[in-house]
Order: sequence, then C-alpha cells, then structure tokens
Amino acid sequence: MTSSQAAQNMVSLRGVSKKFGEKTIFSDIDLDVKTGEVMAVIGPSGAGKSTLLRCINLLEQPTAGRITVGGHTIDAGKPGSRSEVQALRRSAGMVFQHFNLFPHMNVLQNISFAQVRVLGRSRTEADKRSAELLDRVGLADFANAYPSRCSGGQQQRIAIARALAVDPEVMLFDEPTSALDPEVGLEVLAVMQELASAGMTMIIVTHEMSFARDVSDTLVVMADGRIIEQGDARAVMANPTHERTRTFLRAVVDR
Amino acid sequence: MEALNAVLVGVPLTLLVTAAAFAMGAVLGVPLVVGLRSERALARIPCRFLVDLLRGVPAIVWLFVIYFGVSIGAYRFAAVPAAIIGLGAISAAYLAEIYRGGISSVHAGQWEAAQALGVDGRTVFSRIVGPQALRVSIPSMASYLISLLKDSSIASTIGVTEIVFYTTQDARSGGGGLTVYIIAAITYTVLSIPLGLASRALYDSLRKKVSR
Repeated sequence: MTSSQAAQNMVSLRGVSKKFGEKTIFSDIDLDVKTGEVMAVIGPSGAGKSTLLRCINLLEQPTAGRITVGGHTIDAGKPGSRSEVQALRRSAGMVFQHFNLFPHMNVLQNISFAQVRVLGRSRTEADKRSAELLDRVGLADFANAYPSRCSGGQQQRIAIARALAVDPEVMLFDEPTSALDPEVGLEVLAVMQELASAGMTMIIVTHEMSFARDVSDTLVVMADGRIIEQGDARAVMANPTHERTRTFLRAVVDR
Repeated sequence: MEALNAVLVGVPLTLLVTAAAFAMGAVLGVPLVVGLRSERALARIPCRFLVDLLRGVPAIVWLFVIYFGVSIGAYRFAAVPAAIIGLGAISAAYLAEIYRGGISSVHAGQWEAAQALGVDGRTVFSRIVGPQALRVSIPSMASYLISLLKDSSIASTIGVTEIVFYTTQDARSGGGGLTVYIIAAITYTVLSIPLGLASRALYDSLRKKVSR
C-alpha cells in the first residue's frame, strides 16, 4: 500500500479472520473505507457482520490479519500494547444495538466521562462539549436525566453523542435501530443522516434497507463469513450480481 | 437488671470487632475478587485457593491459630487484634465472592461501551462496573454483616470481652439461668435490625436513581 492510499483510507482491513474455537465466523476479509465514506454492511444473521465490526475496534481479537484505523495499525499475530489498542479504539466511536449507556450516571456524565478520563479534558470543558453534542442530537433538555428515564430512541441518540465526544475519526454502528420501534428508529436514523452529511466516516451494520440505499455511499453484502458483493450502494441494490444477494434482498425489501 | 448491665458491657467490643473485621474484609475483598476474575492462572489460582481455605476452615480454628499459634519474634497478638484479623480475613473471602456475583450481574455491554471509548481496564472497573456491582451486592453484604455481628461471639473463646463473654461469665457466676442468654439474644437482635433497615434504605435510594 502506498502512503497516499493509506492517507485516503480511514479504515483498512487486510486478510482479517475470526474464529471462536473451531468455529470460523469470517475469514480473509479485505475492506477499505475512505475518509468521509458511509458504508452499510448488510446480510443475513450469522453472516459475521457484527463480529467484523467489533474486530475493527478490537472488542473482539481478530485471529488473523491486519487492521488499520485512522493511522493506528494492529496485527492479529502480535496484539498491540495497551496504549496502542486504546489509541485505535479512540479513533473509532461505537454505537451498540442496546445503547449500553452507563445507568449510574446522568446523561451529561455519560457523555463527559471519557472526555475527562481518556482525553484529559477538564470537567467544565467536557460538560460544555457534551451540552453541544446533546443539542446536536436534539436532546438539550436531557442533561440531568438518568438513562432509565429516557426512551430507547433518546438513549440511542445519547449513545451517539457519547461516542462523538472523544472526537472519533470513524463511527461504527452495530444495528443501531434493531432494538427500537420503527417510528422511534427514525429519530436515530435522522441523527445518523446528519452525521453522514457532515462528512463523518461511518460503517453501519444494519437491516434498514432504505437507509442503506439512500444514505450510504457503498454497500457490503456479507454471507457465511465472506463478503460476497460490494460496491456503490444503489447499484448493488438495483442490480445484485450474486444469487445469495438477490435472495437476501428479496427477503428484506419485498416482504 | 443486673444481667442486662452485664450483657451491655460487652456491646462496645462486639461492635468494634464486627465493624473492624467487616471494614477489613470489604477492602481486602476487592484485590481478591480482581484475582479471582483474572485471566492469568498465576493470579487466579492462588486467590481461589486462599478464598476456599479461608471459608473452609472454621472461624474458631483461625482465631486459635492466630492467637495461640502466631508469634513474630517476641510479639504475640492480643485477643482483640487477633479476632479482628481472623474474622477480617474470613470476611474478605466471603465478600470477594459476593463482589464476584455483583460483577457478573453487570451486563457485558458496560465493559464494551467503556472500552470502545478508549477507557483503560482499571478505570472501567473502578468507575463503571464497580459502582454498579456494589449496588447489586448491598443486600448480600448487609446479610453477611448481620451474620458477622453474631459470629463475632466466637472471639469470646480467645478472651475478647464482648457480649457472649460477659453473658457466659454472668451465667456461670450468678444463678440467673437462661435469663441472661435471652437478654443477650435480644441485644443481638436490636443491634442487627438497624443494619437491615439501613441496607434496604441504601439499596432503594440507589435503585431509585438508576431504576434497573
């Protein structure tokens, strides 16, 4: 890889595999995500989409391959030092299916926590930034509420604000609307759309097909631990070349 | 009345031994639970062994070993420190297991969310998982504290002048028969009721805040 390519790619995976014991989740994945690109990852359950996403920020240790996120590279063979792993994780913000807000902290504390603990910002500075982010996700009035008092859609928007608070270079979304009512999911999708148009690099594992088509630039289709198709989002959805993609799209789009 | 006075004289040392042993156990239980949960066998196996040993041997045996058996040079433990150290070490083992249960009850997503933000493991433990685990542990900790309050009577066997020490003395010397024992029983009950109330109040106030 030349250095100009390296600068262009925010996320780069080479030959990445993951096994749990004897069971192969996915193998030999190559993937490049350019700076500012929005990539949707779709595919049937068990395809390995979520595990792949979790390998990108090392919540799961890949069994083989090399992962580069925003200039931080980790090889599966020699797992990086703690500080290298933490630096890589800081470059990638993650939003989970079940939000995972900290229930013992109020909304503002949730968002300020890592700013103070990881970035070393002062409490005042962090709270100011948190308030801005809350405003951005449309929840300016919720600073002092506890997560349990917020709806699922609100919790997910808070989780997005929390991930943005450490200034990540890429955002990873793991089925961010799957645990939400369709209607509530729309508030979350709206926030994600705003992020995308602001130029954030995003990788989104999702079952929201219209969102994948309308918001993402590229589409990756995974099945049985492999990438079976990838390319321009609209093109892939309009003219899938792989039979497996066709069956999957029929099942989720034409139901 | 005389019997009541005899029993009440023992209350301060019962409370001291209980509180000090519990505090010692609550603090030492933390490194123990970290060891129990460690991925490194070199840390986990000794901690596992220590916890099983501390819980497996009767408290009275520990107190005898420490009081009669340990001498560091010319130094020998006095009765009260020996009781506190023995009961404190046993408490550390029990409380470590209670903490372990509390930590297991914290959803894995809490570790993941904090780690994904780049927070180091120690901070995740002390700021995210620990406080939530502690809240879950409060009822079991209070239950253990109440049982420790009564078990501290074992210290009377090495001469700590707590409630049972005076109760036994009074029963032997006076002709009161069962009366003094009943008074001792009531005293223990009266001491333990506020502990239960306080624990429930603490638990409820924490739950009200996070309601989960």
